[in-house]
Amino acid sequence: MGKRPPKYSAGALIKHGLTRGDWPRMWRRPEMRSSYDVVIIGGGLHGLATAYYLAENHGITNVAVVDKGYIGGGGSGRNTAIVRSNYLTPEGVAFYDRSLDLYNTMATDLNLNIMFSKRGHLTLAHTDSALRTMHWRAEVNKLQGIDSSVIDAQEVKKQAPSLDVSQNTRYPILGALHHPPGGIVRHDAVVWGYARGADVHDVHILQETEVLDIMVEGGSGPGGKGAGGKVTGVKTSRGDISAPIVVNCTAGWASLISNMAGVPLPITTHPLQAAVTEPCKVFLPTVVVSGSLHVYVSQTDRGELVFGASVDPVGTYRVNGTLEFTEELAGHVLELMPGISKMRLLRQWSGLCDMTPDYSPVMGNTPVEGYLVDVGWGTYGFKAGPVAGETLAETIATGRNADLISAFGIERFTEGDLVGEKGAAAVGH
Amino acid sequence: MSNRLTAQPGEIIDRSTSLSFTWNGKAVTGHQGDTIASAIAASGVDVFGRSMKYHRKRGILTADHWDPNLFVQVGDEPNVRAGSRRLEAGMVVSTQNVWPSLEFDLGAANQLVGRFLSSGFYYKTFMRPKFLWPLYQKVLKKFAPGGRIHWETSTHDAYDKRYVHPDVLVAGGGPAGMGAALAAADNGASVLLVEQYGDLGGHLLWGDDAQRAQGADLAAACRAHANIEVLVDSTVTGRYDHNWISVMQRSHDIAPERLIKARAGVMVVAPGLVERPYVFAGNDTPGVILSGAARRLINLWAVKPGNRAVVMSANADGDAAVADLERVGVEVVAVLDARKGESIVSVEGKSRVSKVALSDGRTLNADLVVTATGWTAPTSLLNMAGDRPVYDATAARYFSNSLPSNILATGGITGDGSTAELEAHGRATGVLAANRALRRRHDRVAQTARSNDPAWDKPAEMADSRTPLNRVPHPECYRSTTHGMVDFSEDVSSKDLIQASKEGFDSIELMKRYTTVTMGPSQGKLETVNAAAVLAEANQVSMAEIGTTVWRPPFAPITLGALAGRIHEPVRRSALQDWHDAHGAAPLLAGQWVRPDHYGDPMGEADNVRNNVGLIDVTPLGKLDLRGPDVSKLLELVYVNKWSKLDIGRVRYGTMVAEDGVVSDDGVTGRLGEYHWLMTCTSSGAGAVWEMLEDWLQTYRPEWQVHVTAVTGGLTSINVAGPHSRTLLERIVEDVDLSADAFPYFSVRQGTVAGVSDCIIWRIGFTGELSYEVHVPSGHALHVWEELLAQGEDLGCRPFGVEAQRILRLEKGHYIVGQDTDGLSKAPTAGLGGLVKLDKPDTIGLPELKAAYERTDLPILVGVQTDDPEIVPEEAAQIVDGGSNTILGRITSSRMSPTLGRSVCLAQVDPSLAAAGSSITVLLADGRRVTATVQEHHAHVDPEGARQRV
Amino acid sequence: MIVVPCPNCGPRNSGDLRNCGELVPRPDPSTASLVEWREYLYMRKNPADWVTETWYCRGGCRRYFTIERNTATNEIRGQEAS
Repeated sequence: MGKRPPKYSAGALIKHGLTRGDWPRMWRRPEMRSSYDVVIIGGGLHGLATAYYLAENHGITNVAVVDKGYIGGGGSGRNTAIVRSNYLTPEGVAFYDRSLDLYNTMATDLNLNIMFSKRGHLTLAHTDSALRTMHWRAEVNKLQGIDSSVIDAQEVKKQAPSLDVSQNTRYPILGALHHPPGGIVRHDAVVWGYARGADVHDVHILQETEVLDIMVEGGSGPGGKGAGGKVTGVKTSRGDISAPIVVNCTAGWASLISNMAGVPLPITTHPLQAAVTEPCKVFLPTVVVSGSLHVYVSQTDRGELVFGASVDPVGTYRVNGTLEFTEELAGHVLELMPGISKMRLLRQWSGLCDMTPDYSPVMGNTPVEGYLVDVGWGTYGFKAGPVAGETLAETIATGRNADLISAFGIERFTEGDLVGEKGAAAVGH
Repeated sequence: MSNRLTAQPGEIIDRSTSLSFTWNGKAVTGHQGDTIASAIAASGVDVFGRSMKYHRKRGILTADHWDPNLFVQVGDEPNVRAGSRRLEAGMVVSTQNVWPSLEFDLGAANQLVGRFLSSGFYYKTFMRPKFLWPLYQKVLKKFAPGGRIHWETSTHDAYDKRYVHPDVLVAGGGPAGMGAALAAADNGASVLLVEQYGDLGGHLLWGDDAQRAQGADLAAACRAHANIEVLVDSTVTGRYDHNWISVMQRSHDIAPERLIKARAGVMVVAPGLVERPYVFAGNDTPGVILSGAARRLINLWAVKPGNRAVVMSANADGDAAVADLERVGVEVVAVLDARKGESIVSVEGKSRVSKVALSDGRTLNADLVVTATGWTAPTSLLNMAGDRPVYDATAARYFSNSLPSNILATGGITGDGSTAELEAHGRATGVLAANRALRRRHDRVAQTARSNDPAWDKPAEMADSRTPLNRVPHPECYRSTTHGMVDFSEDVSSKDLIQASKEGFDSIELMKRYTTVTMGPSQGKLETVNAAAVLAEANQVSMAEIGTTVWRPPFAPITLGALAGRIHEPVRRSALQDWHDAHGAAPLLAGQWVRPDHYGDPMGEADNVRNNVGLIDVTPLGKLDLRGPDVSKLLELVYVNKWSKLDIGRVRYGTMVAEDGVVSDDGVTGRLGEYHWLMTCTSSGAGAVWEMLEDWLQTYRPEWQVHVTAVTGGLTSINVAGPHSRTLLERIVEDVDLSADAFPYFSVRQGTVAGVSDCIIWRIGFTGELSYEVHVPSGHALHVWEELLAQGEDLGCRPFGVEAQRILRLEKGHYIVGQDTDGLSKAPTAGLGGLVKLDKPDTIGLPELKAAYERTDLPILVGVQTDDPEIVPEEAAQIVDGGSNTILGRITSSRMSPTLGRSVCLAQVDPSLAAAGSSITVLLADGRRVTATVQEHHAHVDPEGARQRV
Repeated sequence: MIVVPCPNCGPRNSGDLRNCGELVPRPDPSTASLVEWREYLYMRKNPADWVTETWYCRGGCRRYFTIERNTATNEIRGQEAS
């Protein structure tokens, strides 16, 4: 521990510029070992953050992160990069607030500029009932020290002058929940930062390594899997690994991986689509979300508008996207900003979301000893990545679910204690 | 200085026309048939813009839609591609990415420090001190590329969409695409032929005399064929599952862009090839162009691309470019044959090429460099169909790997050939496409229940026996011995890519994300193959091992306006809404409905209901007509309470929960006859309740005989409320005894109101007053409404709006599902204790209902009054534990009560606070903490219900 | 916009219908344990493979019906390739 890569800084940039030297690798391609203390399935933000905090906070470094493709190739690189903590339930607020804290110090913690643009976040209300929900969120937020308040249409106009706040539109903007600490982050950089940070501790990042099965013995289900069993390792496309702890951080593929351990999940996989336009001179200074219009939008520093919407209504593992997504998106965006009808949509893409019935994650220990989950992240996994990694690492290190995730255990679906985020998270970006 | 040549044999400009426009404020003229770029180039301009990061001067590179250097602002339209957009008179064209001007651009200072701005440099700096980062961001934003939105003039105006169902859609109008279209059409298929540029012909248009003649013949045949619809200036932008295909049509009469959505039986993909640039130092200097650009400029638009040229050629197209250049008087000072290993090493020049260094050591003076180093197969549409192309080192390009049966490829993306060979392959593909498409059409007709059987036989399946096109060997020319631009729109050089690989971004997708190579406006059409080649070189592996990035839709960018089309956002209006509008009602948007919020004085309106009589239009109330012998079984199943013994003419209130026990809807249902019931539900839940009933009847209880008809809009609902309501109704109801004994509370009758028969009269109410709800066939609703007002004038009858109703219902303590309950509220929370029957064999959510009543920790809905009667807490104000921030509940509804002259609330509270008389602390939005007291009943006014039972 | 074969209306754009998700048998509510009931409520197979699912012909005949669809390819059994 403690071994540091060459620091990134302006000085280092100048030195490298003058000497034309090569930067070292941010992470290596190590030889796979036959056993690790912890195997994390899924080399996205959650898996890499978990590995990083295991090493950094708990000194557990004999860890492998395995991914069937390249790191950050799933939802980590396909989301719309929005971070915020103005959730509806106290447990949600506390959790995401910690995540925002970690984002705030991440650039220095990881010595990589993740380009956090703390530009503020507006959730528009177009109906009385939406406004009532905004007030509810604002009140809960304020009680937990979160900067969050309801503003009226004229104040919305000040925050985002390109919005049409006239009252004769089909869905007039009545007000908004304003959350100044929210913003956008360069999502890939977060993945690379954690990968680099984990690699320093000799965590093995094993790309292009597909998990084919999870080995469990002593369980009550077929093949000794399932409840009451104990994990012994994983079979991968590059050979077997023995490990007493296996963690599922595979988002849209969570059900498929969990079935390998005999642990069914309350999850359905739906694509979440996003799109980006060609660049235009910057005019939108803040993140704008409209639940009623199923859209969220922000403008990058390069001038591109980045759009998202709610998950596709039909569950599928297809990620090739749909035309109707772009049609509906454009229609809704133009309700908000009729002036941008001549901007062009450049690219659409989609990622797979692991949706749970209560729009909250499933985290921590499971009925199979040594098999942990960090799944059910739906459409909000990016915001939570840092805190999910931190709490999951604590859970692995201590053997008991961390306090911050106590509301998110898998047992809530047999005990009937669901989390009440559904109302706030339906298009809650 | 004009660069316009004398008339060229294949030119597509009409020299008899003169189109005036401005370029950066200067007047320029061009001809019909010019693109914006060709007209500007003809006027002698070399520099069209600046690059994104280093603000290097840039000129024409490809002279087509994919040219990365030709993005301009045209009037209020940003990011217009001058390489393909046809010139129109009066265009106001300007450079985009410069500040303050094209000639003197401050951003060019980035070139001086370029060696420090290696790819990803921004990830490595500005972490400390933290305060510098926001400042840097502001600077960064100033340099954002792209055009400008003109907020004053730009609006979402005329756009349109179209649906088409061709048997065969052909993407690409070159020789192969036209051949495919003709053959498919000859074989009985309906064909939509889509060409991206202004004319059919593809590369034949800038070819020799014979090629142009062949192209013209094919084009004429396509246009003449009855089974072919030709769309030019239109692009197939996406292929989605089940062959749902998007086409963007420009140059349409009524819309600047029109989105066409096609469900095609088979799509034939024939986009031809995209020429790729060669990577060497200075390859982005104005005057370095591709062979296709040289040939298009000369042959289509008669523009002389330069005076002294160095040509590097690896193929016949490069050789043809040499011939074209020499024909129009360009001095070709060197031809480097890449097939013999000759190449360009670097060029010098700022606003224009001046010197060229060659691989044989010579340095020549030249103002034009033309490269012909190979092709990128634009396999986007194939990728979207799941294909992952494979690299063929011999032909030095990618080829399709596997395609679903409803996609066929032809032309250049499948191989090389003469015009005749390309056309022949296209024709063979068209025959196969027609066969597959007609088989599909037959299936589709046959699959549809109650359709007539197709009158024709399903064609036998045809094998794919096409002779593949040759793959002509081509040298692998990607990079010279120097480093140059790989991605022109993103300013990413080969050096950047090699550095990224060394830093660990050693797969194509990681490299793309780190360096942004291929992420710009041409989305990799020019850059992908060169990027893969440089990565292969860096990783010391073969190109085949690198793979490519996945091309995502759209194939070419689409305006948001066209995607949106006309905005269709319907509003539901009751038959009385015009009356409300005419009488000063403030509109309230409630879901899809627009409703009267109030007529100016909601408190007065509420007061009038308590003292006289009022009318409210409650049409959005969900109404479902239920008929059949098994209705009571259905009600027993979907409501939490008992329904078996409800007499004809009686009404009962019921609550619905979902299978998870959460309260989902409520309303009253009345029995109109032996087999006839009318159910009401919430406005917002009406659709969902209807679908839920159908689900149960079709899926789980198909043996039950119940027919459900939604009648929400068909019956206009008018609530007549107040102490004088009976008196009023007695004046206009003809055949129903309205007396208290004959028509008691919670009863329903059918009768004639103001001469309108078949009305339904309910004695129910949400306001707590004596009230009746009259459901009138909507065609007669206005008559009944006006008659009620006229007959009630002396009784003080006035309309009231939704706000008054909200006040009245809150005074009465009626909760609203979704406002006073939420996504976790179970039956005990809503206080349904006495209503719920758990001893039924089945009811929706029964196990969860039972479990909920075992629990003691669920929040409870209670009536609350603030101790200071003047304070009305905000709806959503939190109930906290004294001075702490622990949340113990929230105010769900609150209003000032005109009847009581004090504020009244409903609240969800922790069970420890639910007992009547409990004192609670409410945190107001302004931060004050006030005390309030839990009431015995939800109702604040008349909890015994005496007023409504008179 | 995939094509879904309604038994009454024939092949229709999926936008005309509503997908109701994986078919999960409903336990007998009078005998099911809470654990069984909550498995029915929440647990899903969610395979990347063939799944039997319910659709509702919302914009057409209002019929509920089941089809088999492959969630990895969006292919629908009995229909030609996607």
